[in-house]
Amino acid sequence: MATQLTSPIHDRHVALGAKMADFGGWDMPIEYPGGGVVAEHTAVRERVGIFDVSHLGKARVSGPGAKDFVNSCLTNDLGRIAPGKAQYTMCCTETGGVVDDLIQYLRGDDDVFLIPNAANTTKVVELLTAAAPEGITVENLHRDYGVIAVQGTKSDEVLEALGLPVDHEYMSFVEVDWEGLPVIVCRTGYTGERGYEIVPAWDVTGSVWDALLAEVRAQGGMPCGLGARDTLRTEMGYPLHGNDLSLDITPVMAGAAWAVGWDKESFWGKESLAAERAAKNTRLTRGLLVTGRGIPRSHCEVKDADGNVIGEVTSGTFSPTLKQGIALALCDRSVSLGDEVVIDVRGRAIPATVTKPPFVEVGVRAN
Amino acid sequence: MSDASYPTDLRYTAEHEWVKSTGEDTVRVGITSFAQEALGDVVYVSAPSIGDAVTAGDSCGEVESTKSVSDLYSPLSGEVVAVNDALDATPELVNSDPYGDGWIFEVRVSDPATIDGLMDATAYEGQLG
Repeated sequence: MATQLTSPIHDRHVALGAKMADFGGWDMPIEYPGGGVVAEHTAVRERVGIFDVSHLGKARVSGPGAKDFVNSCLTNDLGRIAPGKAQYTMCCTETGGVVDDLIQYLRGDDDVFLIPNAANTTKVVELLTAAAPEGITVENLHRDYGVIAVQGTKSDEVLEALGLPVDHEYMSFVEVDWEGLPVIVCRTGYTGERGYEIVPAWDVTGSVWDALLAEVRAQGGMPCGLGARDTLRTEMGYPLHGNDLSLDITPVMAGAAWAVGWDKESFWGKESLAAERAAKNTRLTRGLLVTGRGIPRSHCEVKDADGNVIGEVTSGTFSPTLKQGIALALCDRSVSLGDEVVIDVRGRAIPATVTKPPFVEVGVRAN
Repeated sequence: MSDASYPTDLRYTAEHEWVKSTGEDTVRVGITSFAQEALGDVVYVSAPSIGDAVTAGDSCGEVESTKSVSDLYSPLSGEVVAVNDALDATPELVNSDPYGDGWIFEVRVSDPATIDGLMDATAYEGQLG
């Protein structure tokens, strides 16, 4: 690893005594003293939690026709949403592999804001820059903004106390001013709970964090690390790029075909993905709910009752809500919902049932 | 964390296990405060079974947290004579009471003299740096 990058609120995590680890080149909090993955996870499911996810990328595509340009590159269809709305999308190669999955914020016909994954931001910006016609500008704003997620049923109370906008529609955003600098408040998240992802200008991220954290604690919540973020997203079956989506795992395989604008004239990978979708012969991502004892991990083999390998785990963890192992796994098409399978966890055969995620019921879209 | 503690009546291994004499030739085994802190929330313990023969330094089980898995090594050679069944339902005891209710298994040691060959608390703390 070259230089370790740090969030604008890195000093807060160090002061809190957080366990830190590398995420895509950024030194980020995994868990906090007084919390731990299970307690932090539970805080989000039952009340509210606050996450620093400033390692996420930020980029902007602007200029006449920016929306149409982005729409001709990334998979989802910006024509389905109005300005002020955000959308989950993917950046694919011509062969349908996933370079990154990201959120695109449509500000207007000439302005699209992107939130790629930390480790993939440079690549996404490079690809868009290389494809951009005259007049379209692609900017990597990775260190121009922080990102703070407030997630859980008490999120509205937290934001309201600070005078930040709340209760806008799911996947929509509002831009406001904080100490003279811009803050975007988007009703999105990676936990399955009602909540917001707040994108403050880098220099006010600390002040926004301090104010939010005080309110989160007042609501019985706590700061949460990326450990809990991973168990929360796995319970929802949300894919993580690098595990469940990759250059080898396409949107068709990962069950993310809903985020592809199949009717669009063009986007990167369209031909390959359309052919793959029609051929129906690749493995598909399934949920596995462990019925025995043990925790599946990435790359564990999935087998049928006769010991034949029928799949491979892409993400696996312990579900703090269910108190059971859960996994996402790429499985042969012969595997159906309800099937009983076995996961080979370091030589031990752990029984599991094939299910359709999410593994838990939550209220992300509730109004 | 600096508030981790290492009782002086226990013996320790470089793999962060503690050993407590429970009889002439029997010992109880668990993982240290340092180990549970490093692992984070323990959610699953795979202990050896009663009757298993274990060999000093060999893997004989696993301790899993939400984010990682660590091998459990037998600190001494002998036969497993007890396992802590409470960890099936409440593995978090390894975090909350690592030297007490969070014990993992007991061994009848083939050569009791080997117990004294393990580190004492001072030596263990010293090698933690």
